[in-house]
Amino acid sequence: MTTTHGPLGVMEGATSGNQMVLSMGPQHPSTHGVLQVLTEIEGEVITKADPEIGYLHTGIEKSAENLFWSQASTVIERMDYLSPLTNAMCYVLGVEKLLGITDRIPERAQQLRVLLCELSRIASHCVWLGTGGIDLGAISPFFYAFDMRENILDLFEASGGARMHPNYLRVGGLRDDIPHGFLDRLDDLIKKFPGRMRELRRLLQNNPIVQDRMIDVAVLEPEEALAWNVSGPVLRGSGIAYDVRKAFPYSGYEKYEFDVPTRTEGDAYARFLVRLDEMDEAMRIVAQVRKQLVQGPVMIDDTKVAPPPKEAIALSMEALIHHFKIVSEGFRVPPGDVYQAVEGPRGELGYYIVSNGENRPWRVRTRPPSMYNLQVLKKLAIGELIADMVVCIGSLDPVFGEVDR
Amino acid sequence: MEVNAGQQFLLAKLDDVARWAQASSVWPLTMGLACCAIEMMSVTAPEYDIARLGSEVFRASPRQADLMIVSGRVAQKMGPVIRRLYDQMADPKWVISMGACASSGGVFDNYAIVQGVDTIVPVDVYVPGCPPTPDGLLYAVNLIQQQIRQGGRGGVLARA
Amino acid sequence: MPPSPQAPPLGNRALDPTAVRPAIDDALIERIEPSALRSRLQALRGDGFTVLLDIGGVDYLDRKPRFDVVYHLLKLPATVASVAAIGTPVRMRVLCGIDDGIALPTVSDIWPSANWAEREVYDLFGITFEGHPDLRRIQMPADWEGHPLRKDYPLRGPGLEKTPRPDFALKSNVLAGTPPSGKTAAALARQIAKIRGQSS
Repeated sequence: MTTTHGPLGVMEGATSGNQMVLSMGPQHPSTHGVLQVLTEIEGEVITKADPEIGYLHTGIEKSAENLFWSQASTVIERMDYLSPLTNAMCYVLGVEKLLGITDRIPERAQQLRVLLCELSRIASHCVWLGTGGIDLGAISPFFYAFDMRENILDLFEASGGARMHPNYLRVGGLRDDIPHGFLDRLDDLIKKFPGRMRELRRLLQNNPIVQDRMIDVAVLEPEEALAWNVSGPVLRGSGIAYDVRKAFPYSGYEKYEFDVPTRTEGDAYARFLVRLDEMDEAMRIVAQVRKQLVQGPVMIDDTKVAPPPKEAIALSMEALIHHFKIVSEGFRVPPGDVYQAVEGPRGELGYYIVSNGENRPWRVRTRPPSMYNLQVLKKLAIGELIADMVVCIGSLDPVFGEVDR
Repeated sequence: MEVNAGQQFLLAKLDDVARWAQASSVWPLTMGLACCAIEMMSVTAPEYDIARLGSEVFRASPRQADLMIVSGRVAQKMGPVIRRLYDQMADPKWVISMGACASSGGVFDNYAIVQGVDTIVPVDVYVPGCPPTPDGLLYAVNLIQQQIRQGGRGGVLARA
Repeated sequence: MPPSPQAPPLGNRALDPTAVRPAIDDALIERIEPSALRSRLQALRGDGFTVLLDIGGVDYLDRKPRFDVVYHLLKLPATVASVAAIGTPVRMRVLCGIDDGIALPTVSDIWPSANWAEREVYDLFGITFEGHPDLRRIQMPADWEGHPLRKDYPLRGPGLEKTPRPDFALKSNVLAGTPPSGKTAAALARQIAKIRGQSS
């Protein structure tokens, strides 16, 4: 029994002469981030896979305990960095539940939140598609997918001020209304999206190489999927149509018509098709929101939570004082705990938020979908070829900001 | 550099030619850590296109790369890995510290993040932003090219 | 009507926010002793709670017992199921209060997903789980001392207030920076000469 000692860990293994211990190290072009998979292979077949995480542990949860409620969303947004608005959405929904103001959020704010979260989902799936193609050796879809993503990032930059991490979703609504020209650009995107999706599908979906590499690889049965606590496209690729937007609707999702794509085969190709269909469904929701968008305020009319408009500060003493209090000490959230979940591109993103009545969170515990999705790699990779490891990881679509936090 | 009109040769200094070649083909290492890595990917995408600056391919192996773009927050576990990769790169090599987290710890002033990757590897260019827009990274690569052409630390006579 | 705190702020003192206020989300909530934990979770698993969504730890510094380990459960059918068949699944939250130094039984044999979740609670809080197949640190390096998410662990870590700069960070390349290019170089040089009092 040989033991491999590396400076990054110890792996017991390699009982027979044919076995080898291979570290797909933290720096790897295809691990979608900083992941180390300690694999034991016999020839080309993987006999054991042990993912090693923690290479991006940021202490976000501890940082959030030391920031005001409105400041904590800046660090929390940096968890799932491919769809930052989803993190912010889940967090502000949870805090609003603790404050008891969920039914007073203006309708326009709720609709815009849904709009931006669905755009965020499409942008995240664009990255998944592009990098998934590169893992298999197909470089061109990367450029097409990222071009589509640029259009969406332009919209985020126009509304929130930054391409990624705009911190646009605030407790009580949105930071500010969308600018002029946003809706025109959105209409352009909605119009050219089906053509772009057709292009992307034509590039990869029926490609015999992609099908050869993905069909019957990394198969996950429904009972196993639940036991390993996967969610999102990984769970829906195995046949269980659990989507938080349908099961526990939030922010007005019950008003929109959309399907939840599900496949029963449970292999990597099934998850691939599920994600492609999800992009279409997300754009369907975006089009509906665009049509139903109402006029109105985008921030709750509550001076204890939301800073007053800047114009009022010069004219009203109370506005000035409220602004001062909110900026210098933040608002207080009544004590209590809440578990809030949203459907992120990777699965059920949940926050267990505990407040002790102060102006800072006492604890923000994340239920990271990517971490649980990644844990199932221990089981999925066994029996596959070493070349299939990238297909396995790509089909699980982990984001390490979320896995490690 | 002298161009002899009418004759078919030109004279130049070897240093200049070598530096021109190095500056025009700086190949980065795929050192994507966090959110900045996604902006680094956007830099390779058609809208910002780093290939027109010469960074045609991002090499996964440190032996084959010239430039390490530390893009993202450096966790405590990842620090030794970055140092080892830097040591494995062949001279001449340059380092861009992309983003606020790599430059100084960024928004994360806590136990888990190394407060500045320049405590681990020597950095040539710092790029501010959280994350910096791809334009910022392109400007940083431009600055690296200027440094190479002017014969700074990373020129032909490079010392680590 | 602005919301007002339903109780005065509890401050950084002994508290149990779960006792202060009734549940505001739609989950069933149960508080349980560590001795009854495993049997209760096994019963819940048999009752159809097929998914262990998450295991989280909370440190209530001055409360007795100090920590809360929260198990989030979800009831989903274990076969191929459509959206209509799933409907609105039942959520549950089991809170287990535990003191420093006491070990909890593992549930990684009931739900395999608990493996990493328990490792993370151990790594960040120091709560050990008896019977866990591989209890070691998961986020922090293996030789790290201390459990970072405890409330008495400093935010910036073990005493390194300012990370020292090694000397190569001050080498000429970095100090001098990149020389400015174009028209501004001459203007900058003139300005520097003027500040230094030299004739330009």
